Amino acid sequence: MKKWLQGSIKPEEFTEKNIKTAGIHFEALVGQDKIREVAKEFLKQSYYLESLTAVDFQECFEVVYHFNRWETQARVCVKILVGKDANNAPSLSSIYKSAVWFEREVHEMFGITFDGHPGLKNLLLPESSRIHPLLKSFKGEPKGSDVAQSLKLIEEDKRDFEVAYPRSITQQGKDYYLNLGPQHPSTHGVLRILLHLNGERILDGEPIIGYSHRHHEKMMEIQNYLACWPNFGRLDYVGAMSFNFGYARLVETAMGVAPPPRVEAIRVLTTELNRIASHLLWLGTFLMDLGAMTPFFYCFDDREKILDILEMATGERLTYDYFRFGGLDKDFPVEAIAATKQFIPEFKKRLREYDKLISKNVIFLNRVRGMGILTKEDALAYGVTGPMLRASGVALDERRRDPYSLYQHLDFNVPIRTDGDVYARYEVRMQEMEECLKIIAQLVDNLPEGAISSGKLPKNVPKGEYYSAIESARGSFGIYLVSDGSLNPYRIKLRTPSFSNLNAIIDMLPGCFISDAVAVLGSTDIVLPEIDR
Amino acid sequence: MEINKDPEFLETQTPPNGLVSFFKLDHLLNIARSNSQWPLTFGLACCAIEFMAAGASRFDLDRFGFGVARPSPRQADLMIVAGTISRKMVPCIKTLYDQMPAPKYVIAHGGCATAGGPFKYPGQYGILEGIDKIIPVNVYIPGCPPRPEALIAGLLELRRLIKEGKTQGTMSPAIIEDSQDARPAEYKNAISRADFRKPPAPPAPPTPPAAPTAAPAQA
Repeated sequence: MKKWLQGSIKPEEFTEKNIKTAGIHFEALVGQDKIREVAKEFLKQSYYLESLTAVDFQECFEVVYHFNRWETQARVCVKILVGKDANNAPSLSSIYKSAVWFEREVHEMFGITFDGHPGLKNLLLPESSRIHPLLKSFKGEPKGSDVAQSLKLIEEDKRDFEVAYPRSITQQGKDYYLNLGPQHPSTHGVLRILLHLNGERILDGEPIIGYSHRHHEKMMEIQNYLACWPNFGRLDYVGAMSFNFGYARLVETAMGVAPPPRVEAIRVLTTELNRIASHLLWLGTFLMDLGAMTPFFYCFDDREKILDILEMATGERLTYDYFRFGGLDKDFPVEAIAATKQFIPEFKKRLREYDKLISKNVIFLNRVRGMGILTKEDALAYGVTGPMLRASGVALDERRRDPYSLYQHLDFNVPIRTDGDVYARYEVRMQEMEECLKIIAQLVDNLPEGAISSGKLPKNVPKGEYYSAIESARGSFGIYLVSDGSLNPYRIKLRTPSFSNLNAIIDMLPGCFISDAVAVLGSTDIVLPEIDR
Repeated sequence: MEINKDPEFLETQTPPNGLVSFFKLDHLLNIARSNSQWPLTFGLACCAIEFMAAGASRFDLDRFGFGVARPSPRQADLMIVAGTISRKMVPCIKTLYDQMPAPKYVIAHGGCATAGGPFKYPGQYGILEGIDKIIPVNVYIPGCPPRPEALIAGLLELRRLIKEGKTQGTMSPAIIEDSQDARPAEYKNAISRADFRKPPAPPAPPTPPAAPTAAPAQA
């Protein structure tokens, strides 16, 4: 790709980067007219669009594209410049399907217009919102905190929603539209899906997100690096530990700090425990969506045992805030090690029980086999990662593609399935829990002794751009950081896995019944605040 | 009949149960209401997971008779607002609340539903700082997120309030005092791309002050 870029595109700027520190191989600035050509070539070489965002500078905007491959760590960064006055950029939406949502987000956050985009409306903000919060010239809006305003805003929002989604209130002939959510038990949070139906069969479904938008990215710009920790605990609250890991990895590689061995071992141990807890929550709620109540109680019972262990170490049950730069908040206590050792055989037995109870259940099989199929092509176009991608036959796992921390020394498999249906996703997650147990068993017996901190660190990250990704319970979680060398981040873009995974259900829903839509949605294992950020 | 929905008009109206009061009957009704709360299955963010955990096997909300969570607001009389209220969600919550039959009760579960929680900062654009800005609240539960025990304590507190006749459940919009946060936030200004782009030359001046801070890291 490098030769091709330099040969036929002739980028205006080209910088080689160190993949170990910056997270990308190279960075190229191309002309606006060339970006579509570049994207087409990247798609031809089976790169997926990992993230698309913008950075606001004094003179201009930089629109930043990250491309990556499934097989190897091949992340590269391509940029275009967009002027402040004529803020138009070419749209990639006809090349990459994932660009549709990414560009909508950049449009509302920065006010950049993408030419050729099928429908540039607000994605995360309310339809009535006309602000561009991630602009540096945006200095806050006190509107939302006022009572009289709130009541007025309710009317405005309702009205503008109907304008933005006229289909939600009209009906033509036999076809009709149904809102699934935002308050619906099986949307796992506040998600709205506008279903276009013929009888009970879905013709198409359009997810409407943003009901849990909590301005994480803007918030991180006005607080220092240490103060950002709680945000990462609350992004993906079901698997908060891996999001902690992502942030720790980003800042540590940027600063060039290597945490002590005990810290690394405890981090991996707690993250894998948390991953099991996350998958258990998914299993319980997924089966409850399908009408099975019993697994919910079993799964939550097991999950509580993990939460007990993690609580001994962190003091928290859910929104962990355990990692620190180059270290940990507290040491992993002895009683937690004993509890973990007790948990492993118990949970192995439980997993066999789940398998007996669920995997061959005829009712379950009939509802999930061959349902919601995600093909490899769609997965590439949407940038799907995590168990969803592995169920479609691609062995992409950040822990193997770009081993961080201790993962290269650990023995575990990356389970894959090739069917790409709901059942395949179920199987992948069930097997992943076993693999997590394997990792935990390897670590819990030989936790290295030593310090849990690497001493005093500078308060700021050196000037530059960094990208780092880790494998969360839902897929590849990447953070793109632009640091100007001051005490707080200049720009942080969170590339969250559920965002892309949810995007892909647009192509999975057509042809299903409404009741199947619930199964498909449940199998994607989404966490809404992570999507909406 | 035309219903006047103007909040200022409604504030001047006295509640209908002020006209005639059947004390014994009210008391009996309150006992009945306090023991059969039907919460709305409704979660917004992190706190909803703890709400689920409270309903699951270890904490078992059913012991107290709160386990009949209804997915439809028309069958529920208790709204547990569990999580951050984003601006986009506000109309939906208001609609849900309006659809619930009176008398209805509201619990603000966690820091976000109480006052914005960790997402409150001066000039924030994304969230509503507390659900009591749009609907009246009976019980506040602090925590981020509150443990399931805290939720149970909150529910028992609500039960006590209803039983003792201290809350009738609400019929009209609440009267709310508004507080504005006037602290200045440290918003950043845009930096020059040209300056940012040429790293080799400019970092020379900032490096000497950075070096001493980096030195203790190795020590």
